[in-house]
Amino acid sequence: MLMTLLVVPLVLFILVIFLWPVARFLALSVDNSDISSNLPQTFAAIGDWQPSQGPPPEAVLAALVGDLANARHAGSDGVLAQLINQRLVGTRFLVIKTARDAAEGRLDERPVKDALLAAHPGWAEPALWTEIIRARGPLTDYYLLGSLDLQRSPAGGVEAVPADRALFLNALGRTVWISFIVTVLCAVLSLPLAQAIVSAPPRWSRVMFAMVLFPLWTSLLVRTVIWIIVLQKNGPVNAALVATGLLGEPLTLIYTRFSLYVAMVQVLLPLMVLSLVSVMRRVPTNYMKAALSLGAPWLTAWRRVQLPLIMPGILAGSAIVFVFALGYYITPMLVGGPTDQMISSYIAFYTNTTLNWGLAAALSVQLLLILMVSALLFWTARAFMRSPAEATQ
Amino acid sequence: MLKFKHSLCLAAALAASVATARAADTITVVGWGGNWDKAYKEGVWDKYTELTGTKIVQEEWGGELAKVRAQVQSGSVTWDLISPEAPSVEIGCAEGLFVPLTPEITGDPSKYLPGTIMECGVASDTWATILAYNADAIQGEGPKSWADYFDVEKFPGKRGMLAQAQYTLENAMMADGVAPADVYTELRKPGGVDRAFAMLDKIKPHVVWWSSSTQAMQNLASGEVVMTDQYNARVTNDIVNEKKNYKIVWDAGFFYGTDMWSVVKGSPNEKAALEMLKWFSIPENQAGFSKLYAYGTGRVEAAEFVPEDWRKNLPTSPEHAKFGATYDTAFWVENKEALEARFKAWQAQ
Repeated sequence: MLMTLLVVPLVLFILVIFLWPVARFLALSVDNSDISSNLPQTFAAIGDWQPSQGPPPEAVLAALVGDLANARHAGSDGVLAQLINQRLVGTRFLVIKTARDAAEGRLDERPVKDALLAAHPGWAEPALWTEIIRARGPLTDYYLLGSLDLQRSPAGGVEAVPADRALFLNALGRTVWISFIVTVLCAVLSLPLAQAIVSAPPRWSRVMFAMVLFPLWTSLLVRTVIWIIVLQKNGPVNAALVATGLLGEPLTLIYTRFSLYVAMVQVLLPLMVLSLVSVMRRVPTNYMKAALSLGAPWLTAWRRVQLPLIMPGILAGSAIVFVFALGYYITPMLVGGPTDQMISSYIAFYTNTTLNWGLAAALSVQLLLILMVSALLFWTARAFMRSPAEATQ
Repeated sequence: MLKFKHSLCLAAALAASVATARAADTITVVGWGGNWDKAYKEGVWDKYTELTGTKIVQEEWGGELAKVRAQVQSGSVTWDLISPEAPSVEIGCAEGLFVPLTPEITGDPSKYLPGTIMECGVASDTWATILAYNADAIQGEGPKSWADYFDVEKFPGKRGMLAQAQYTLENAMMADGVAPADVYTELRKPGGVDRAFAMLDKIKPHVVWWSSSTQAMQNLASGEVVMTDQYNARVTNDIVNEKKNYKIVWDAGFFYGTDMWSVVKGSPNEKAALEMLKWFSIPENQAGFSKLYAYGTGRVEAAEFVPEDWRKNLPTSPEHAKFGATYDTAFWVENKEALEARFKAWQAQ
């Protein structure tokens, strides 16, 4: 009972500080209230009217003027204009200026059609009304479709966006691939390193461990930018390669996938080493010795005895590295090229630069889904690993 | 004669501001931080405080219009005078977040460079994105135009380029032979943007993209690139402080952009802030900033009050201003998101 009470603050903390804001943000990916709640009369007046039936009826335009005046008074016309401009580029000032005129009573004459269309002819565009009608309702699939390079066709079905606008599926695939490669590289490099740390005499073991941890305490930005200097055209690596005659001309090393892997592996390696060392310390050395003394070649002994025993460490380390790598964007931005950008950089772009939080949230949903799927995979792998390993004990 | 006229106006204006400002006012001014804020404090605000007794508190922000929107809508405005980018002023003004400025405050609008005065703002700083090259890396004649910048046969070597559509499409159009003043007319035509992308296609393999100006200058210093686009003050800084052999090609044509001074609607010190803006609209007072920072301001004559050897670093100096054109904020406000997405897709192809 007491234990349960002690856990309550923690659960509340996670709920308030983490789950609630995340859920709120994710809800933005389907939220359409900034459009629907700002144009209630307009949507009511539209009813069954379609732009294909001809120009918008007087009742629709009058309702629009009323809605825009209200939005202006409520201070929400700016957001509305921004959202409509997202759907049809070039309409932002049309909406804001119409809202201003409506609020200041300049569109009060009847029929409103003449006054409105004379001052703001953009409202005669069928394309604009198609987008507005599509945006009715409290929920929208606009952002989720967009984050998958899909859109609604004029007929209402789902279709792929034109090739020159397809952006996110590639970026998603790339993000998963880069994270995967970084995880594999980290695992391969960490195995001998962790083994050396565990096998070394205690004093040396401590020194080596500190050397692994040291970069972890250094700013991520510093560690990333250093690689620009090391790998640049006239940097030490190229200078050494040219001086030793291995190369005639300096290689392009920086701003490539290669430099991205180098920087990410360097940053994430300590996490893998840490989880490997903690597992390896618990594996008795006699098992390997026993296998070797019974005549197994070293590789066979390692593969069949040591590897299964340290597998939980590899999996835990991989899970941490993979999950961290999925969210990277500053490192790819600084040391990667244009074809190495990861999905988080797009989330940051839409969150900070264009304030398109709907699309940012939709992309976050995908990132979260990838995370959940990979967590599930690691968990399943872990469960499978356990049975043979435990059977040997 | 001209000088005499200025000093007369100046004396009259100074007398007016001293008479009307109340000594107890404190104005919260929100700028871009760092050396920019420092230049404003030492070059402009300290003088105003000395003159009127008005205290000025400086705060820093990153230009997020959403923050202003939140203050105005909640009715608790704590900022008086702020410096947003021109597109944000265009949006915010239309939304009613900023106080419209009358010629009584700003002075005669025709005395400003194009684009440096708007309904709700006057330029706080006018910066330019220019073509710069490393004269140590290019032997003989350097590039003279954006066409040269796009010509990798004439000038071998990589080019540094800002990794975004805004500013880059303009440079591509200039390289395609469009005069700066006509660039937006061409971009707005059907197929205009395609034309800019077609131009960029030609140079794509030779580009090293940058996202922060520090990175771009590092690439120029290390020889990773031989020329780059860049904000002019950044290049001047490295020429002056690090004695680099960089050249700015002003006559290749350049675009200038502005950050603005705007008064937040509902500001508790609206009157005092407007009074200060009125004082700031005098060219000599604006020049206080440009003397300490290689960006111009709004008034055409302001450059005249900057010493000649420093004036040559300003985009607004008479010898440079004729090669420049202003960024079209209305174009970018509406097209930014769509064009940046297309640009990113193009980059990743």
